[in-house]
Amino acid sequence: MRHISFLCMLFLGSIAAGTPATAKVFFRVAASPLPPADQTGIRDLVLLWPLRDLSVAAELHSQGYRVFLQCESKDLAAAVVSADRAAVTGVIVTNIAPSGQSPAAEQLRPYLAAHKSLTFRMLVQGGKQPQMKGHLVVERDGVLQVSSPSSQPWLDTNFALVRLAQATDPHSLPIIYDFHWDMSGALPAAWHPDADAYAVAIAEADAIRSDVTIDLPGSLQRALVAGDPRAWTLWKAIMPYLEFSSHAATERIVPVVNLGVIVDDVRGSYEAINLMARHNLAFESVRPASLTLARLASWNSVVVFCPLNKEAVALLRDFAASGGIVIFVNTHDEFPWHAAPPLRRESRTTVYTIGAGQVVELAEPVVDPENFARDLRRLIGRERSALALWNSLTTLVTGYREQSRPDVTLYLVNYANQPDTVQVQVKGRFTGVRLESPEERCCVSVPFVERGGFTEFTIPALRITARVHLESARESSAAP
Amino acid sequence: MRWLKSVAWPSLTLAMLPLPAILCSPQNGSFVHQKRYAMGTVFEIVIYDEDLPRADAAARAALDEVVRLDDMMSNYKPESDLSRMNRTAHFQPVRIPRELYEVIEESLFYSRHSDGQFDISVGPLVDLWKAALAGGPSPTAADQASALRCVGYQKIELTPPDGIQFHSDCMRLDLGAIGKGYAVDRTAEVLNASGIHRAYIDAGGSTIYALGAPPGGNAWRVRLRDPSGKLGPEVMLSNNSVSTSEQSAPSSLQGDAPGHIVVPGTGKPLQTRYAISVTAPSATASDALSTTLLLLGPTKGAALVKTLHNVSAVWIDSDGQRTIVGDGVSFFLTGENHPIHVSPLKSRIAATSKAANELLP
Repeated sequence: MRHISFLCMLFLGSIAAGTPATAKVFFRVAASPLPPADQTGIRDLVLLWPLRDLSVAAELHSQGYRVFLQCESKDLAAAVVSADRAAVTGVIVTNIAPSGQSPAAEQLRPYLAAHKSLTFRMLVQGGKQPQMKGHLVVERDGVLQVSSPSSQPWLDTNFALVRLAQATDPHSLPIIYDFHWDMSGALPAAWHPDADAYAVAIAEADAIRSDVTIDLPGSLQRALVAGDPRAWTLWKAIMPYLEFSSHAATERIVPVVNLGVIVDDVRGSYEAINLMARHNLAFESVRPASLTLARLASWNSVVVFCPLNKEAVALLRDFAASGGIVIFVNTHDEFPWHAAPPLRRESRTTVYTIGAGQVVELAEPVVDPENFARDLRRLIGRERSALALWNSLTTLVTGYREQSRPDVTLYLVNYANQPDTVQVQVKGRFTGVRLESPEERCCVSVPFVERGGFTEFTIPALRITARVHLESARESSAAP
Repeated sequence: MRWLKSVAWPSLTLAMLPLPAILCSPQNGSFVHQKRYAMGTVFEIVIYDEDLPRADAAARAALDEVVRLDDMMSNYKPESDLSRMNRTAHFQPVRIPRELYEVIEESLFYSRHSDGQFDISVGPLVDLWKAALAGGPSPTAADQASALRCVGYQKIELTPPDGIQFHSDCMRLDLGAIGKGYAVDRTAEVLNASGIHRAYIDAGGSTIYALGAPPGGNAWRVRLRDPSGKLGPEVMLSNNSVSTSEQSAPSSLQGDAPGHIVVPGTGKPLQTRYAISVTAPSATASDALSTTLLLLGPTKGAALVKTLHNVSAVWIDSDGQRTIVGDGVSFFLTGENHPIHVSPLKSRIAATSKAANELLP
């Protein structure tokens, strides 16, 4: 039931999302003192509504923070009135009830109009603490291990959650996601989470280009106020990542993608998309209504998780005819290309050749998301992939390009607990590759080679996060 | 160290499943759980111990050892000892670290006893098919013949205590079928030396070693791979190991796709419907034997197992057909009406991979 609620919220998020992301890191804190912002490096704080004492918000504001209230939609009217009075910057709304009559953004529109000094965000719940996991199942009083052929690391990421929420609707509110710390591994006497856990969370939000809310444990907040040296040692290890993240460009950017995902109901597609993200497939998700020729122009492959109307099917037929790959999942529909015999028919899969491309029809839902994502990556092939990492099973990459400029910035996040050597392949020709990280401030030139229309380089020791700037001479072409 | 805080409190986790009577009973002990990325997978260690700081330190030291061995034996890292050896050992002897020598020596043991089905010189063929596995075209017959020329464990010459030479101009060794097992055994040694006697070591699910037993039980329970989903195979481990191998599944989008396990004799990916799990006194042995016995199949594989001591193997196909053989640890088929098992005939324990020859009569 909880899972369904999460999916409903995710779907609402996907309806309401679309405004360019800023990748800010918000810290959710107790309504109690905090050292000044110039000491913590934090810019944005979240206080949970209702607040007993509004003066806390004003006090934090006077210390240099931008303060947001987080409230449920039912409390929004009261929260915005208080926010107006208490030097609050904005309101984060959660638990917006599904409504058949009006989309979530419509429910909020009156408040947006009446409180123009406030900024609003919609909270996308259901996030997970970003981390690398194994496959051990720890039970109540023992350990249950399921043996298997050797498994790749499991990465708990928020890429799919946010990618789905960022889909479509240009008239919506910015989104912000959150998660709760996994406390199962906490030593009683130790600080938890540790600095690396914060760093990964901060880096992931930067890579996804989405705002995130991170909980600051009350014990740490109190210890920082008290000047506890252990707390400040921990915090000073986190601050470089906050600083590194906040330097990211916030202009309007477009993701570097080669794969489109058409999705309507996330319940049948979430895990598949989650695994697509984990396999570093460079994708963006859109709802069927947003499928246009312009969208298709930036893709060479499409996965369809929902029924389409005739116009959309015709667009995809033409897309395939010009060399694209289209995969329909769980489809039993009749399509125009069925008039010709398939190239191959198996129990669950039928493949049609259309012009220079192909259409793959799966007759059932994705039953093994891991295999599906792996098979999809193989089907697309390296030559069609806008981005690819080699031998980097714990690292995820995203790429963005400023509109109208060919330069590309890559964001890399390593979820493991030791430096990783990351081999990167980016489609396009570039004249320079520069690396920056919390350890290597901007910028270190990285040797690269051009091979068959791709730029290849190696990051020798990616600890947690880095950005790579691929510069292109104005006359050069940069894909995708 | 991201996983610094590593004590898990049992009350937070799930309920035990119904177990045969011999399985561990619930206790209130707490345990350390650490994990580390190495050898392309996640190594995990669970330790029950009264002294949690000691357990925490022991787990960290053991995982450090895994990373050290990965740095030595990785064929992905150009500066590893294995990579350096692969570049320089053609027609001239080179010296290699003791651990690398040991694992190659043990590999040759399994090569000889499987008529070359287990062969760490299969690397060029694996690399050839890896490109096809990643979506590239299948290698041509000429490519395969060229790679096949580089394969053959007989062309590896070891000179004690640390010398190696390849009698081939293109030989390249790949320890992917045995390296994780070796690392698991070394991990167990580190834990033993730290005074840890109740531990569970897991290398990505494919190789597991159980040290002692959890509190209140006499063994650790491991559920085994079952492609049919019908049999529910399980094994109880205590001071022994289990490894599982299976060929990569065909592509759901492209039909046939080459698997990652290549037959050294033919140079082509193995075609099999089986998954296999093998128990042995050491993780090195179970790791190497799982690949070997998958390649041999149940008929020839059973014949090999019958020549070994303290080894058990179960082959299961996607229809639930099974072959169980060996005198090692019992297998329980919990999915059947009457759980069955293979009874061990002997109880010799070989704690580490050094004891490969002890597997022989």
